[in-house]
Amino acid sequence: MDTFYTDLVCVGAGLAGERVAIAAAVAGFESICLSVVPPRRSHSSAAQGGMQASLGNCCMGQGDCPDLHFADTVKGSDWGCDQEVARLFAQTAPVAVREMAFWGIPWNRVVAGKGVYYKAGKAFEKIESAERAGAITARDFGGTAKWRTCYTSDGTGHTLLYTMDNEVVRLGVKVHDRVEAVSLIHDGGSCMGVVARCLKTGKLRVYLGKATLIATGGYGKLYRESTNAVINWGDGAAIALNTGLIPIGNPEAVQFHPTGIVPTNILVTEGCRGDGGTLKDVDEERFMNIYEPAKQELASRDVVSRWMTHHMRMGKGVPSAYGPHLWLDIRHLGAQHIKTKLREVDEICREFLDRDPITQLIPVRPAQHYSMGGVRTDKDGAAYGLRGLYAAGEAACWDLHGFNRLGGNSLAETVVAGRIVGEKIVEFLKGHESDFKTSVVRQAVSREQKRIEALIGSGGNENVYELRAAMGDVLMDQVGIFRNHADLRDAVEKLQVIYDRCRKMGLRSSCVHGANPELSAALRLPGMVRLALCIAQGALTRTESRGAHAREDYPERNDRDWLKRTLAFWKNEDDVLPVLEYEKPSKVWEMPPGERGYGATKIICTLDPEICGLKPETN
Amino acid sequence: MTAGDTRACGRPVRTEAYLDLFQMLTGIVLVAFMWAHMVLVASINLDLGGGRVMNAIARFFEATYMAQIGGPLIGFIMLVHFVVAARKMPFRAREQKAIWRHSVNFSHTDTWLWIIQAATAFIILIMGSIHMWTVLTSLPITAAKSAGRIQGGWWFGFYLLLLPVIELHVGIGIYRIGVKWGYITRANRAQLHGFDNRLTFIMIGIGLVTLLTFLALVKA
Amino acid sequence: MGRTLKFNIFRFNPEDPASVARMDPFYLEETEAMTLFIALNLIRENQDPTLMFDFMCRAGICGSCAMLINGRPDLACHTKTKDLPGDITLLPLPIFKLIGDLCVDTGTWFRAMNERVGSWVHTSKTFDPQEEEERMDNALAEQIYELERCIECGCCVAACGKANMVPENFMGATAFNRIVRFMIDPRDERKNDEYFEVVGNEDGIFGCLGLLGCEDTCPKNIPLQDQLGMLRRKMGFSQVKHLFRALLPAKRIAK
Ligand SMILES: Cc1cc2nc3c(=O)[nH]c(=O)nc-3n(C[C@H](O)[C@H](O)[C@H](O)COP(=O)(O)OP(=O)(O)OC[C@H]3O[C@@H](n4cnc5c(N)ncnc54)[C@H](O)[C@@H]3O)c2cc1C
Ligand code: HEM
Ligand code: HEM
Ligand code: SF4
Ligand code: F3S
Ligand code: FES
Repeated sequence: MDTFYTDLVCVGAGLAGERVAIAAAVAGFESICLSVVPPRRSHSSAAQGGMQASLGNCCMGQGDCPDLHFADTVKGSDWGCDQEVARLFAQTAPVAVREMAFWGIPWNRVVAGKGVYYKAGKAFEKIESAERAGAITARDFGGTAKWRTCYTSDGTGHTLLYTMDNEVVRLGVKVHDRVEAVSLIHDGGSCMGVVARCLKTGKLRVYLGKATLIATGGYGKLYRESTNAVINWGDGAAIALNTGLIPIGNPEAVQFHPTGIVPTNILVTEGCRGDGGTLKDVDEERFMNIYEPAKQELASRDVVSRWMTHHMRMGKGVPSAYGPHLWLDIRHLGAQHIKTKLREVDEICREFLDRDPITQLIPVRPAQHYSMGGVRTDKDGAAYGLRGLYAAGEAACWDLHGFNRLGGNSLAETVVAGRIVGEKIVEFLKGHESDFKTSVVRQAVSREQKRIEALIGSGGNENVYELRAAMGDVLMDQVGIFRNHADLRDAVEKLQVIYDRCRKMGLRSSCVHGANPELSAALRLPGMVRLALCIAQGALTRTESRGAHAREDYPERNDRDWLKRTLAFWKNEDDVLPVLEYEKPSKVWEMPPGERGYGATKIICTLDPEICGLKPETN
Repeated sequence: MTAGDTRACGRPVRTEAYLDLFQMLTGIVLVAFMWAHMVLVASINLDLGGGRVMNAIARFFEATYMAQIGGPLIGFIMLVHFVVAARKMPFRAREQKAIWRHSVNFSHTDTWLWIIQAATAFIILIMGSIHMWTVLTSLPITAAKSAGRIQGGWWFGFYLLLLPVIELHVGIGIYRIGVKWGYITRANRAQLHGFDNRLTFIMIGIGLVTLLTFLALVKA
Repeated sequence: MGRTLKFNIFRFNPEDPASVARMDPFYLEETEAMTLFIALNLIRENQDPTLMFDFMCRAGICGSCAMLINGRPDLACHTKTKDLPGDITLLPLPIFKLIGDLCVDTGTWFRAMNERVGSWVHTSKTFDPQEEEERMDNALAEQIYELERCIECGCCVAACGKANMVPENFMGATAFNRIVRFMIDPRDERKNDEYFEVVGNEDGIFGCLGLLGCEDTCPKNIPLQDQLGMLRRKMGFSQVKHLFRALLPAKRIAK
């Protein structure tokens, strides 16, 4: 058994994981980053549109400041976020963007002089001041008061991740790629590291660290139709959940992005609409201006996705072999703009759709995109339930996004949380010596060994790929954009059946040499189904609509009963349902719950004086 | 290799830079020579095989000792060029196998061009030396002497092979110099390569006509 | 449509002592808009669950899925079957270490490449969180981004005859492109001589034969040819002054 000792075991080498490892390295601590793919292939590289930070350099961002960013984020979250975290985040984001610039990001810059921009399909003029020329510029994104999204063309995630990994290389941080963490090693009180499986050789390994970080990204691939990469299985959340001690925060808060292309669900960035693109229906007519007169195409994602779905249900979708869809129109932005600021979009349309976005419409419809939920941590990034375990990035529920994440806030979260959580981990490491209990380690390894042996020799007849597809269908069709009691009830039952069938999984390949992709998938699936059950059960129980969680049978946002965060536990190995607990979303209420300004819903107000700021009447 | 190694330490070894520059310079000199040589030999066509123009040119080169000195000098440059360029050739069996397998699978024009260049190089080494030895040891050059050789038949076949071989090597060579040193860019590559190809064909054409002129028109 | 596609796929599992390198045939009904991503997954899920291949983003932006498709390196995920003949041969990329079937270890190779070229901004400054960012011309930022778009897929290396001849040492076009990316970045303080240390040799730019396999296959269409030409010129000519200095007596130059 290969065993590696280090200060920090960093599960995940995307933006969040690497930023934390850098913080540790700078402080003189050693870390090993694990990743199932080479670090630069992590899903962060797929982010296109940009990263929010209130620099206020461009003319349309003038007057921007952390306060406005904070307010937009809280509104976006539908008051589901932790306001302390949002405050910390908004304040740090500008520094994080500049630090990334210092490390080499070629951020797009302010160009002095007159320029044209588009809003709602119409052209407007703007004049950039010479005084700000060459400073980092920003584009418009949904749900923001100012142009705040810093970008490098539409390859922002790519440049961020490459620059981050450059720092990792410079500092000599170790990355073990093609290594998949399969369980956490803990004694019920502290976390000691992970058992992992090498995807080159198929052998189990042990990584022991004084601190462990989960930064495994999102779990979009639970859903059938997702913009996420094929490795976004939710491993991190699943292995945390499997301990029985760590809750998943707000699992039911799943974001759908308005513009996945049909049929492959590859994302075209929100930047398309930010830069002035419009949504059109079967008659090539706009409709967002009717549903959301104020923000139109640039209302937050949950709102736009819902109206799109609604519009298609009204029969206004464009029929196709892959079901109805709508159009995204960016033709009026012109070849020059598309070829420089939206080049990935241009390429994706040409390569995957055989379409030219300069002259043709792009077929789109909402697809699963982001998991607001994740390993629940406090504001330092420390996971609930185990000492020495941290989480950051999309894998975590830090909780910056509440029930809806704003576009551009996620890249920002990864680097900001990476910075902050990194420092907290350094503090923890400084005051910490740990002894690794060999019996605990041995037990953890043998449990995984047994699972593998059981699968290989099982003779079961359930096929892992069929089960996975069945899970994806249930979530997509019944735990999707619009939800209701009957569907959710049914979804939970179906998922339970699937969970049960997982026990009878059999492999069709008996090869024990090497990674064996079928075995990997089979090892992973039960954890994924548990996570799926958390999502479905969380959604079923939450009888209100908030952010991305939209109940047809409970359309109002109910602050009176539901201004709280779901904590989903899987307490016992043999359970068939998660245990749901709840906590207040925020300790401080800088911004009491109110209207978002878009996606108008009825609100049932809270009477909690601590939250709404009203003093209880005294007489 | 560790992260620290990338900063300059001590005196860098510049040999490779000089050799590469040298390869380019000898290449250009040789290309210039070959094209000039072709034009000069083709002067036989000017008076329809009369030989007066060619003889006059030959006399000029000899009177100014350019042939006597230039000839061996070209030979020397060729040798140097060969030595320098041969560094790039795959001599190990494993390398040859690898490049051959790659070229066959990949079927990519510019890769084949290089293979052609490397293959022609060996032919030129042998045939070019024989030719130069023959011409330079029997100075002065006259139209009649040349025609005599060519009409003998054996030399005709010799030149019929050497001509396309050298023109291909030269034509490809100058294109590749342009590519390697960044004078041929993505923007003008197709255009310049087309131009270069045409030039090569024209050169081969002129050479063929010249050979036929020697064969048919000039009295030995 | 309606074609039955024949896939000839390279199979070898280095971890399995019983495995021998071979080509396995698979047959698949072609469907509309089928990509190799869809096809390979169908084969794995329905025909041979042991088949190894890599996909990640399935959108042509992460560089995971490069392989030889009928002899040419390309990204499998953005290759549509309708653009291919009915007989499709898939091989793993050469040069990189084989992990199994169509998977190769690009991660180790690229990490070494990044270390070798010093793929980061070399600066003596330290970051000051209070300070505003250094200004930069937007045109320059876009120029840097153009070169930064490399997704480290390895196609340019696999397509390079030189790299095929000397697989252990040759740096490859991706490395040259990376160096130029930092050369044109004013934040990087390295001088030409420092870059020369890294690429001014036979494993570096002077080993490049100008075969342009890289330029003609890069799936991101990065202008590699122009970077390579520029780099060779810069590296070659910048050394001429050293040559003159060495050849001429120092005093004469001083005058
Ligand atoms: C198509 C798309 C476009 C987006 N665009 C934007 C945008 O424009 N702006 C924005 O702000 N956000 C955007 N997002 C969201 C944002 O990109 C992600 O939320 C963010 O990059 C997540 O970063 P991360 O570091 O948390 O995780 P990731 O980058 O996903 O990294 C996860 C890491 O964990 C590793 N890993 C996973 N499982 C295991 C395991 N079991 N063992 C070991 N390692 C493991 C992976 O290999 C990887 O290294 C986009 C998302 C998508 C899907
Ligand atoms: C002795 C016989 C010769 C041999 C063995 C030879 C060999 C080679 C080889 C192997 C190359 C390729 C090098 C590379 O791509 O890096 C080359 C390039 C070249 N050769 Fe020759 N050659 C010979 C004669 C000639 C002659 C007679 C000429 C011109 C009249 C010539 C012109 C060129 C040119 C222009 C190049 C391109 C140079 C470059 O790429 O830098 N060669 N030669
Ligand atoms: C300075 C040295 C050289 C001299 C003086 C010279 C001279 C001549 C002469 C006089 C001829 C006419 C035919 C003959 O007399 O046999 C000829 C033809 C030819 N030479 Fe050279 N030559 C030289 C170098 C070379 C080299 C280096 C090459 C190529 C490697 C070359 C290739 C040829 C070819 C291909 C022909 C035939 C041309 C045709 O098609 O008509 N020569 N040369
Ligand atoms: S330069 Fe192009 S071909 Fe080479 S690794 Fe980068 S993206 Fe791939
Ligand atoms: S293919 Fe290879 S030889 Fe040079 S031009 Fe490209 S690196
Ligand atoms: S899977 Fe990402 S490039 Fe093909």
